[in-house]
Amino acid sequence: MLTCRGLRKDYVTERGEVAAVAGIDLEIAAGRYAAIIGRSGSGKSSLMAMIGGLSRPSQGQVTVDGTDIWSLSENALAAFRNKRIGYVFQFASLLPTLRLVDNVALPAMLGGGARSSTTYARAAALLGQMGLGDYLDAYPSEVSAGEQRRAVIARALINEPALILADEPTSDLDEQTEIEIMDELLAVNRERGTTLVLVTHNLALAEQAEQIVHIAHGTLVP
Amino acid sequence: MRLLASLALQNLGRRKARSLLLIMAVAVASGVVFTGATLMRSIDSSMAVGFTRLGADMMVVPEGALTNITAALLTVEPTDLVLDQDLFARAGIASVSRAAPQKIARVEHSGIGSHHDSVDLIGFDAALDFTVRPWLVEKINRDMRPGDVILGAARAAPLGSELLIFGKAHTVYGRLGKTGVGTHERGVFMTFDTLEALAGSIHGHGHGHGGGPPAVLQKGKVSGFLVELAPGATPLQARFAILSTLKGVKVVTGDSTMSGIRQGLAALLNGILALMVLMFASTALMVSVLFSAIVTERRGELGLLKAIGARRGQIVGMMVIEAVIATGAGGVLGVALGVLVMRLYERSLVYYLENIGVPFVWLDGPRIVIVAVAAVVMASIIGALGSLYPAWRASRRDPYDLVRGEG
Ligand SMILES: Nc1ncnc2c1ncn2[C@@H]1O[C@H](COP(=O)(O)OP(=O)(O)OP(=O)(O)O)[C@@H](O)[C@H]1O
Ligand SMILES: [Mg+2]
Repeated sequence: MLTCRGLRKDYVTERGEVAAVAGIDLEIAAGRYAAIIGRSGSGKSSLMAMIGGLSRPSQGQVTVDGTDIWSLSENALAAFRNKRIGYVFQFASLLPTLRLVDNVALPAMLGGGARSSTTYARAAALLGQMGLGDYLDAYPSEVSAGEQRRAVIARALINEPALILADEPTSDLDEQTEIEIMDELLAVNRERGTTLVLVTHNLALAEQAEQIVHIAHGTLVP
Repeated sequence: MRLLASLALQNLGRRKARSLLLIMAVAVASGVVFTGATLMRSIDSSMAVGFTRLGADMMVVPEGALTNITAALLTVEPTDLVLDQDLFARAGIASVSRAAPQKIARVEHSGIGSHHDSVDLIGFDAALDFTVRPWLVEKINRDMRPGDVILGAARAAPLGSELLIFGKAHTVYGRLGKTGVGTHERGVFMTFDTLEALAGSIHGHGHGHGGGPPAVLQKGKVSGFLVELAPGATPLQARFAILSTLKGVKVVTGDSTMSGIRQGLAALLNGILALMVLMFASTALMVSVLFSAIVTERRGELGLLKAIGARRGQIVGMMVIEAVIATGAGGVLGVALGVLVMRLYERSLVYYLENIGVPFVWLDGPRIVIVAVAAVVMASIIGALGSLYPAWRASRRDPYDLVRGEG
């Protein structure tokens, strides 16, 4: 389902080029739960961003379900991000001017097509599923960090993506909340067969994964 | 589209003070432009009316007559001096195609208006006139007869009603449109016969000498001529021909008076126009700077929108809509302010312009609406142009870079 070939990301900085990802070949089968681990600065986020269509590789290919995503046109790539990927960032990532329910419905609205009443019903249902049924009309600033993260997961699910990319979704949360949120993600992976790629520092979480990808200095550690 | 618009609106609402300042700044600029354009177009069309519709290129009056530039194209100032009515008919000057004689008597206690109002009774030659009847906007459905009068735009009386002038009954035959020339708008017009018939009723009130009616009411005497040049003739040629053929006359040409003013005015209007263009340009720059800052401030959110699948067009669209809503609102506010200002200063403005010899007629309603719409559209375009580049630049970046907050 997901293949990376010779993937590189070099950042040009004032101190010269930094090779954040220095040639990675990777395959993750459909429906898998894969964990990416590595020390801070090893290039995990950079790799995820290239896989999710958020950051153009300096070299190499990312193929999702047979599509070389970085050869797509701008709009086709936008549609790919919209329809195929659910991205959960390392940090707060809700739009502050929108209520939770609007935030969750947003990807579906951007994609067009669906009627807004059905979209909103689905958004409300997803938020309910995440235990946020009472907070549909709340603004992001009015709920806790953990609740915000759940809303982000609900948003990632609204378009029923084939691939969920979660970049340390729980690193800034307490242990109990971390477990609850991970349970939600794993449930989605199990019940819907959605491929889940998770970046984590938590080795216990990584050990539950079907596949562990270990990165150091931008390359795979065998 | 509706989604983008509502996002844009919400974004405007986030920094109310800033949005308000932007709207105010655009309002001032578009208010100035709207007001300036309306006045310019009004003056311009007033001038054009003065020249084309009235048709007179120059005027011939008795040598000693004082002429008022405003009134020049239509009427002479009433004086005791007169010319012979058949002056031009006898002379046959080649560079003149038409010469319409007029008689003007400024009278008091005529029974028109309040007691001490002076009224200009203006006689025209039905056969030669080309400055009075072209202005008829409404009239009785029959030919003009002796005893009929035509009222200037500023005088109100129902068509067909009876009007007593020095006790003699006249019929209101028609009314003229607005010309911006005071004498024309306040005048009471009639054919020579009708005016001459009043001679017996006017005594002592007219021009101060205590005695009989003004000299101009005598048969065969006129106050002056409105002259239309023959095709191809220059004002200079005609002036020369007239002065060398006719004795005791003075020629007032459009060249030396109206067109002089017109040229001065054109320079002024061009200056205003340049100022307006500069004003718009600086507003556009300001909007652009502001939106560069706004885009930088919202980089993370724009990246996020891209990350969840917003197309570049949607990102740009959202920012442009935001700018257009703000500047469009500024435009509407500016037009409202402009209308208010023009309302407040209308009287002194018109008075001032007429004083410096500029006939003034407001643009008609539909045209003012067009100017207003144009001002609002321009303000919106400024918003669109000012925000387009920053938004377009941001939309090009990888979402990950935007979210991480670089550049
Ligand atoms: N935009 C950038 N410009 C320059 N250098 C960058 C940029 N983004 C990342 N880097 C560098 O690339 C390397 C990998 O960064 P990345 O964020 O991918 O690491 P990470 O494994 O996700 O770290 P963490 O666990 O702390 O999130 C780091 O050395 C980082 O400093
Ligand atoms: Mg990271």
